[in-house]
Amino acid sequence: MGSLFRRLRYLLNRRRFDRELESDMEFHREMMAREGRRDFGNMLRLREQARDAWGWTWIERLGQDLRYALRMLMRSPGFTVTAVLVLAIGIGVNVTAFSLFNMIALKPLPVRDPGSLVLLQRRSPEIIQSEMPYPSVIFYRDHAKTLSAVMAVMGVPPMHLDGSAEPVRADFATGNYFSELGTRAALGRLFDPATESKPDAAPVAVLSYGAWQRRFGADPSLVGRTIRLDNKPATVIGILPSTFASLGGEIPDIWLPLAQQPYFIEGSKVLTDSSASSVRMWARLAPGVTAKMAEQELLMLTNELRRQHPKEIWDNEYIRSDPSGHLRVMTPEMYQVATMVAVLTLLILLVACANLGGLLLARGVTREHEMGIRMAIGASRKRIFRQLFTESLLLASLGAIAAVGFSYAVLRVTLVWLDAPQWLSPVPDWRVLIFLIGTALGAAIFFGLTPALQIARQRQRKPIARQVLVGAQVAASCILLIVAGLLVRAMHHTLYTSPGFGYEHVFSIDPQLGVHGYTPSSAQAYLTRMESRLRAAPGVTSVSLVKLPPMGHTVSRTDVEIAGRSVAIYPNWVEPGFFQTMNIPLLLGRTLLPGEKNAVVISESFARRQWPGQNPLGKQFDSKDAGSGPRDTVVGVAGDARLNALNDDDAVEEYWSAHVDDMPGMSMVVKMSGPTETFVPMAKGIAESLDPKIFPEIRPLKSLYHDTVSRVEQLAMVVSLIGLVAVLLAGVGIVGLVAYSVSQRTKEIAIRLALGAERAQVLAAVLRQFAWPMTIGLMAGVGVAAAASKVLRKVLFGVSNLDPASYAGAIAVLVGIVGVAAFLPARRALRLNLAKILHYE
Amino acid sequence: MKNMSKSGMPSGALVMLILRVLRSGPIHGYAIAQRIHALSTEVLQVEEGVLYPALQKMLLKGWVTAEWGISETNRKVRFYSITPAGVQQLDAEISDYDRVTEAIQAILRTA
Repeated sequence: MGSLFRRLRYLLNRRRFDRELESDMEFHREMMAREGRRDFGNMLRLREQARDAWGWTWIERLGQDLRYALRMLMRSPGFTVTAVLVLAIGIGVNVTAFSLFNMIALKPLPVRDPGSLVLLQRRSPEIIQSEMPYPSVIFYRDHAKTLSAVMAVMGVPPMHLDGSAEPVRADFATGNYFSELGTRAALGRLFDPATESKPDAAPVAVLSYGAWQRRFGADPSLVGRTIRLDNKPATVIGILPSTFASLGGEIPDIWLPLAQQPYFIEGSKVLTDSSASSVRMWARLAPGVTAKMAEQELLMLTNELRRQHPKEIWDNEYIRSDPSGHLRVMTPEMYQVATMVAVLTLLILLVACANLGGLLLARGVTREHEMGIRMAIGASRKRIFRQLFTESLLLASLGAIAAVGFSYAVLRVTLVWLDAPQWLSPVPDWRVLIFLIGTALGAAIFFGLTPALQIARQRQRKPIARQVLVGAQVAASCILLIVAGLLVRAMHHTLYTSPGFGYEHVFSIDPQLGVHGYTPSSAQAYLTRMESRLRAAPGVTSVSLVKLPPMGHTVSRTDVEIAGRSVAIYPNWVEPGFFQTMNIPLLLGRTLLPGEKNAVVISESFARRQWPGQNPLGKQFDSKDAGSGPRDTVVGVAGDARLNALNDDDAVEEYWSAHVDDMPGMSMVVKMSGPTETFVPMAKGIAESLDPKIFPEIRPLKSLYHDTVSRVEQLAMVVSLIGLVAVLLAGVGIVGLVAYSVSQRTKEIAIRLALGAERAQVLAAVLRQFAWPMTIGLMAGVGVAAAASKVLRKVLFGVSNLDPASYAGAIAVLVGIVGVAAFLPARRALRLNLAKILHYE
Repeated sequence: MKNMSKSGMPSGALVMLILRVLRSGPIHGYAIAQRIHALSTEVLQVEEGVLYPALQKMLLKGWVTAEWGISETNRKVRFYSITPAGVQQLDAEISDYDRVTEAIQAILRTA
């Protein structure tokens, strides 16, 4: 310990210690001289050896190397700026991607003890369900000893606020929600666990900071006032802080107590209905409890629950827990996407590094003279290598600094654009900084190590390193271009091919009758009246009932395997007129009859896969529900219409006739002709007159469709941009490498030309060394892209991940750019002034 | 001469000798070399190339300290003195050394 302390003291007072040593040694010399002895060694070197004892020499050398590196970089500003820019792009893209991942999956929510928060979901080997019946939540809450608190949140369709046209997003939450998260009100108070858990307490509402500002002009007197939600009065008790972080990234405008849900949604029985999966269940693990222990206890409780409600619990049901103390609860699919993004961004870094490595090698040749001198005056290879690598580290650091700035700017824009919660900050935290340092170091090793070794060993003229670099750049940019090409094609595919159903002039109306306590017969009465009123309205050409409306909130699917290929079946329950309303062609057979049983209409590709080459009409098959009863018979084949799976090429559809029992859950689709502006107020008016406590959610399919498509457009745009950046980087890098290898062989070329060689031959000779690496790089890129793009299938909107057009396009662009990049500098070299070159030296 | 001082003086022994010389009182670097030279009946020569690294190492280990003083030639110079830790180290090294030389001599006598 003492020696460490002395060592540090030495480091801090190094100048004084060195002066003292110097004085000692000078005195020694003086005394030796007095005695007539003259055995003078190199004083400086002796002193350095003596100082070595303190173990700080490396810092001094590093300082020297850094100063020298800085001088070298300042002397060639063009190179430095290029290198830093290339690195800033390569590292910046990675840091940005990591920062986003960090925000979503790593950064703890600014709530109390985020580490112990979990999301609990129902699972069985066959079924995935993210919502739970509220009575089950109560049961788990009352019996689980591994959970210290249980919270539940129920999302509902937008509600109407004080009769204003723009609906508000509302969530119901248990009374302990805010106190468990440790949230303090910005104004007034939040839910009190005791009061707001009582169903008969005075109805209250808590507003989000944003809603308070937007809808109420940040009026502080709002607290204590009464507002009306779907015509139900409630007192505003408080405003959430702007930095409020809710679980699962839900950001409603208004929070209401879950216990008062039956008051706000009149007639609703979901809180007591143990078959309605209606709430998300969040919990806090008790101190010292692991997620595994909690899952085990919950499994026991689930089995107990099965004894009480045998019908409601599935076979092999269990409760899955996911850590949820950050913005999003990560699913395996999300990790898959994250991995894909990581691979793509690392490819960019690879291109950037390979590019810079080439530049450094080329620079090594121009610095041969300098290296020669340094070697001649006694610098060891190790020392030169260290010097060169220090330069690379310095470049990487500068690049990293630029990258952070770049990433900060991008993130700021992205956060605003995504309307992200306010507590998310684009400022890098320690995780991002560690990632940044790691990436910069990795990059420095990748681009700097080989050139430094080659130069220190005076091998910079060997072509192999260059060839590897070219190959790597070509391969990496090839992959990026292919992926970009696939996404662009997918975008065009969705934009310019029909989804199989008409969405222009079509509206969906979801009255949520079941939630309001409607029975099948009263729901049927309501829907029949609504349909006839709508049909009579001007401009309406067709109305039909459907259980799962296109692009709706609820999606149902079953994955089955047909002939070795996974197929996702999307079932739906419809009125016979549905196909006509949605413009889905009926290709074979007939449509369903009203209330018809054991009859099914399937989509074209379902028929083709299930019974290839046969007439599907009259075929029978077991549907999941009808395992024991009579089997379903195919009565018709409809065109493919991916109502709820726009981006799934493997989706097929099955339609049954809707029954009376389905009525409380039915929605409606309405097709208009002519102007559609008047439709929403008209439909609202009809709903108001039918039952004033029902506020149906009315949505134009056109805008839903465009929302979905625009997400793909944005993704394709970002990836194309990244791919383009990569290919430009690669192009610039190849221009540099070819120009350099031509300049290296100027004399040879000149002699060949002087001896009468054909220009074309010389050109070929110069470019030949790049032909192989480019070919191998291309092949490797295509191979990797073909193998890896399988994960993309789901977002490709029906374009095959082996789509030849995308591959051909990517290869053509790449070959074009690489060709031009190689050809231009080579051709310039052929316009040499032969006499001058041959005279030189 | 240089060769001899290096081959004839294992670095461990040098530290022991310096500590031993310093036990009689603080002296400056040059005097340490002189003293060792003289006491060894002019057999052992300590070059500055080994003396100062050794002294730096001993400063680091805390076996010696250095303070400014005035030399016999009236020059400001640093005087090295032994610390309690240095005394301990010296005792340990001497007993080690004794053991090893005795062992070696035992071999030489009997073999």
